[in-house]
Amino acid sequence: MPPKNTRRIDDLLGGVTEEMLAGIPQQLQDTSLRVERLLLEMVRPDPVQPRRVLPENLHTAFHNNRLTPTQALKELVQLVQVSARQRGRPFNNVLELLPNPDDDGDDEQFAQLSPEEQLLHDLVNLAVTIRDDGQVNPLTVVDVTQGVTQQFRIETGERRYWATWLLRDFMPNYSGDGMIPCIIIPAERSSVFRQAKENTARSGLSAIAMARQAALLLLTIHGYEIPNTAVANDFYRQALDLDLRGKREYTEAILSAMGGMKKGYFSEIKALLRLSDEALELADRYSIDQYKLRYVLSLPAEYHAEVVRQIVDLNLSSKQVKELCESDSLETDDQISFDKLPAAALKMAKVTHTASTVSAQDVARALIQQEGDVTIAQARLKSFQKLLAEAERYLTEE
Amino acid sequence: MTRVFVFTNHKGGVGKSTSATNAALGITSMLRRAGAANSRVLLIDTDSQAHATLITTGMKDYGTDNSLYTVLMSDRQTAAQTLLNSIVQSTWDENLHVLPASPMLEGAERELMGVAGAPYRLAEPLSRIANRYAAVVIDTRPSFSLMTEMGLIAATDAIVPVEPRYLETVGLMSVIGKINDIRDGWRQPNLRVSGILITKMNNRIRGHNHLLTELKSHSVLGNLIMGVVPANEAVSYAHQNHQSIFDYDYKSPASKAYMQFVAKLVYRILKGGA
Repeated sequence: MPPKNTRRIDDLLGGVTEEMLAGIPQQLQDTSLRVERLLLEMVRPDPVQPRRVLPENLHTAFHNNRLTPTQALKELVQLVQVSARQRGRPFNNVLELLPNPDDDGDDEQFAQLSPEEQLLHDLVNLAVTIRDDGQVNPLTVVDVTQGVTQQFRIETGERRYWATWLLRDFMPNYSGDGMIPCIIIPAERSSVFRQAKENTARSGLSAIAMARQAALLLLTIHGYEIPNTAVANDFYRQALDLDLRGKREYTEAILSAMGGMKKGYFSEIKALLRLSDEALELADRYSIDQYKLRYVLSLPAEYHAEVVRQIVDLNLSSKQVKELCESDSLETDDQISFDKLPAAALKMAKVTHTASTVSAQDVARALIQQEGDVTIAQARLKSFQKLLAEAERYLTEE
Repeated sequence: MTRVFVFTNHKGGVGKSTSATNAALGITSMLRRAGAANSRVLLIDTDSQAHATLITTGMKDYGTDNSLYTVLMSDRQTAAQTLLNSIVQSTWDENLHVLPASPMLEGAERELMGVAGAPYRLAEPLSRIANRYAAVVIDTRPSFSLMTEMGLIAATDAIVPVEPRYLETVGLMSVIGKINDIRDGWRQPNLRVSGILITKMNNRIRGHNHLLTELKSHSVLGNLIMGVVPANEAVSYAHQNHQSIFDYDYKSPASKAYMQFVAKLVYRILKGGA
């Protein structure tokens, strides 16, 4: 038996290619952008994309492969169903989220939507548009295929991606084939600057997303490796120690990619990453503006989330936030006045922060469990109501 | 549109697997050599004997969760993803990907018999991922079974390897007739008999020479002949070593003949048309 040889095919090809394929090889080196229809499963959103479509916990779970796209959307729908039920507008099918043209009260209802409701509402709207009119704009994806694992990372168009999944798995009468049109960019031509421009060119980019975007650009030009998995806020916070000094060649490109902002504003936007994790999530979810958030930075990190929640709940203006933060700073300097208050009163005051996170039904159940009797629980609640009414009277007087 | 070449003949031992595997490697190598942006080729083994799978991946123990069987048994909605998940890299070349066969395919034919849309269970998911490949090559089993029909329905070009012997040549006409039946019956206008590959040609046998001359002089079949691969012991040795003929002995007559044949396939891929 002849000896086992190593790769020899290239030697053989050397003589054949030129004569057999005369004129054609030039056509092969076409590296222009291609528009192709890709299987939805081959496409994945960018885990470090500053503009978040899904809520933070779902975003992290999805990018850490704990949830499939369908499961992530299912969780989102369930989340919105709970929130919508609490607000008195339950729904079973996502299509019920669309406004009824015969109903005059829609505008009022629309204004009261929670961020998650708003997100799902927008996705359903987009999905219906895609279903009825087709997808006009293809996604921009980067070919990150490795070996037999064919994958494309979304550079722009993540909302269209989720809307297509929603259309495929959650809406009736889907007649598509599970494919999505995409402009494919070779991996070597992928650019965070292009992604930044796409992001900042559109409205609706929250201040926190802008901060993440600024961080991503800074980290890139300083040679930090951008991971392929979901990252914590600390990853973006690394940019707090970086600036544009020493990177003059990129300064113009970065500021232009950030929507033509000035250097000073760029630094202010970046500084928002100093907010605590919870505050960042809240501020991103409710798209709170930078001019309100900048005052919060003057407070110790443990107060950030609390103040941001107040901004959301009370819809504070920037002037009110400034006053609140300045008075809070004074109070934090003067802990003695707090120390003089009874511990039970401080505890009760703290409970007010969590009021929006629990349901009335759960509180009722907890009371019954604590007291062991419904009548006693009712009595306790009545005396608590009395206490609250009196506290409110004191607040008015103050 | 990605060209899907299916190597088919209901006669066994004519060199379907040998031709399909070497053609697949040849296409990917030639495209890469020519500097193509995409030189990936997918080889699909639909033969339950899994010979093409064995020589290109070094394994044949693919089962219910990582082979063509898995794809055929999955839901319509998840079939394309299952197909992607079942593809493995060939040990021959990083750009040669293989959808392995499994002995379970024998049973799959029985299980799918009478299931609505069964003949499309390969074509449908393949059509969704084919554009990721420069070409797809399908190896079929030596019979006109449901599995072969699936391969033909998924294909754009049927290539018929045939030995230059009397009975094989007679059988060639029935193969071509069957392919035409599938094109018309299953409404697959893209499918065509794209070529005949003469295999195991022995110049010292008078009958071989006679039949080859007759085939070449035939008004239709003569134009379809895409290559003549000589009988060559190197092919068997290459199989035994789980190597392609090109890597086993690139100077062998079979290597040269297959490369000429591959060049014609690549030419069709690039130029389009028949």
